[in-house]
Amino acid sequence: MRLRKRIVAWLAGAAAAFVATATQAEPVKISFLYPSPVADVGWAKQLDLGREAIEEKFGDAVESIVVENIPEGPDAARIMNQMVTDGAKFVMLGSFGYMNDGLRLARQHPDIAFIHASGFKQTDNFGTFTARNYEGFYLGGLAAGMVTESDTIGIVAAFAIPEVVAAVNAITLAVHKVDPDAKIKIVWLNSWFDPPKAQEAARALISQGADVLFSLHQDTPSVVNVAEAEGVYVVNTSSDMSAYGPNSVLASVINDWNDYFIESFQAALDGDFKGADFRGGLASGAVKVAAWNDDLTEEQLGTIKQAEADLASGKTHVFAGPLKDQDGNVRAEAGTTLPDQEIFGMNWLVEGVSGSLPN
Amino acid sequence: MQTITFVLAGTMLAATPLLIAALGELIAEKSGILNLSVEGMMALGAAIGFIVVMETGSYWLAFLAGGLVSTLLAALFGAVVLLALGNQVATGLAVGILGVGLAALIGKPYESKTVPPMPRMPIPFLSDIPVIGPGLFNHVVLVYLAPLAALGLWWLFRYSKLGLIIRAVGESPEASHAIGHNVMLVRLLAVLAGGFLAGVAGAFISVASTTLWSDGMIAGRGWIVVALVVFGTWRVGRVMIGAYLFGIASIAELLVQSTGIGVPSQLLTSIPYVATIVAIALLSMDGRRIRLNAPVSLGRVYREAQ
Repeated sequence: MRLRKRIVAWLAGAAAAFVATATQAEPVKISFLYPSPVADVGWAKQLDLGREAIEEKFGDAVESIVVENIPEGPDAARIMNQMVTDGAKFVMLGSFGYMNDGLRLARQHPDIAFIHASGFKQTDNFGTFTARNYEGFYLGGLAAGMVTESDTIGIVAAFAIPEVVAAVNAITLAVHKVDPDAKIKIVWLNSWFDPPKAQEAARALISQGADVLFSLHQDTPSVVNVAEAEGVYVVNTSSDMSAYGPNSVLASVINDWNDYFIESFQAALDGDFKGADFRGGLASGAVKVAAWNDDLTEEQLGTIKQAEADLASGKTHVFAGPLKDQDGNVRAEAGTTLPDQEIFGMNWLVEGVSGSLPN
Repeated sequence: MQTITFVLAGTMLAATPLLIAALGELIAEKSGILNLSVEGMMALGAAIGFIVVMETGSYWLAFLAGGLVSTLLAALFGAVVLLALGNQVATGLAVGILGVGLAALIGKPYESKTVPPMPRMPIPFLSDIPVIGPGLFNHVVLVYLAPLAALGLWWLFRYSKLGLIIRAVGESPEASHAIGHNVMLVRLLAVLAGGFLAGVAGAFISVASTTLWSDGMIAGRGWIVVALVVFGTWRVGRVMIGAYLFGIASIAELLVQSTGIGVPSQLLTSIPYVATIVAIALLSMDGRRIRLNAPVSLGRVYREAQ
């Protein structure tokens, strides 16, 4: 008797709950695709923080699906299709190589909003986003020029794509602004992911006298580890890595996608999403420089903060003329600044970098 | 850090895991089994070794655990090719992919974490030699053990009964069976030994070299190991030369770049591969001797006569 009562009560409760959920709006599905695993730090982690920001803001109104560590290619295309079939209304594609598959899908589903990392093709429902990391690296370069005693800066870089080349140039310009005699040395890994090789490259640069390293596009703290062990400074990409190198991290150039993701999703919800080309820098907060090392004096930090404010307000520009490349060709006349299309297609090194660009 | 010291130290660090894994692969291939799953076994060893150091702090336990877990993976490979008579190439590829995937899965919670570096063991007196000392004689102990292991393996294949049995099984399993050797057992043990060494090599990379774990960090080194054994024409000495040559060439590439000499970096990136292939090819110009060295039954399915 009592058991039956309980069952009846349970059924009644379930029915009530069912009615309640049915009257509530279905949560909107958002899907995120990452090329690498979400770790404590790195590219995928920063994207995932953006997803968490959406969840925090919209609460139960969203339901997110995350698929991580998916190589570009057929697997990615299959998973994107699945995301759309499962009813995703907002899709974030976290790698350049997802572009063509993503575009095809976007054309087939004009009602779904797509945002794609570092691509260059947009449609009405397919937007792209890129960070002006070079602005952050300019600030890191200022700090590097201030602290270097050997007048040698070493850069460990993945591939010579425009984004990385722009960062190298920004570092060079900033370092030479503070320390005109400093030498800038680069090692190109020609590999997106090889932590042991990145570490050997870091040691090679240290053996050539570098006492400040830049880790461009290493997702793991590989170079930070070496810097900490060898007692040199390092500026790294993506996330705050000061936990891995409490003494060695001079600054971390961080990508913060939270605001952009929230705005894009809001637009998709409201039905006025428009595929655009978002290029976020210091001004929009998409690029932040954090974890400034305590070894920097108040005065040095003040100079850097001033430069940051000037860049953010547009008073100054990283690639302001006069600007010459390695061969002495003038790339920007005095009084002009380099247009965006040249910054995002950069395939030349500024005057003063030793080493050449892989072509 | 002086340039020469850096080159020597970097070479030892880069070559040691290649040498350890290549010796393991050599044992398996000498017995007639081509195991292409080295990349997966190394990845698994790297993940397990890293986790063990994180959880227990013991580096020796890490090498042991990394080796043993890779041995299990090798046992799976061995079971398929020896008992089920599976194709060695296909099975090796499949098991290798499985290993890389398992490593990613098991290592997920440890992604991009770091451990303190393994304590070094400087060799007294030798490590005090200027320039060369800190480059060659101030390393973790495995760096010294690897060439000693190569020496031991050379002796084993040349002078010991066990070594001769392994070689005989690799040359002609039928004849070995006929004179009473247990071909399956010898081959299984050779494959397991190869798996153990691959696991140790992987653990070396994650706990003694990079001191971090990340999916994909083996980055093709398992394939270089397989190539080293072939280009070393299945001879211990040449495989060892190949491993160190590859190590020094990969360091030289980075060094040349860091000095700022204007050589295209893609060209430099290919140097370790080209240099190793050319050098070993010169060492083994005589085609007849290559054929003599190659285990005759390598890669062939052997069905035990009933």
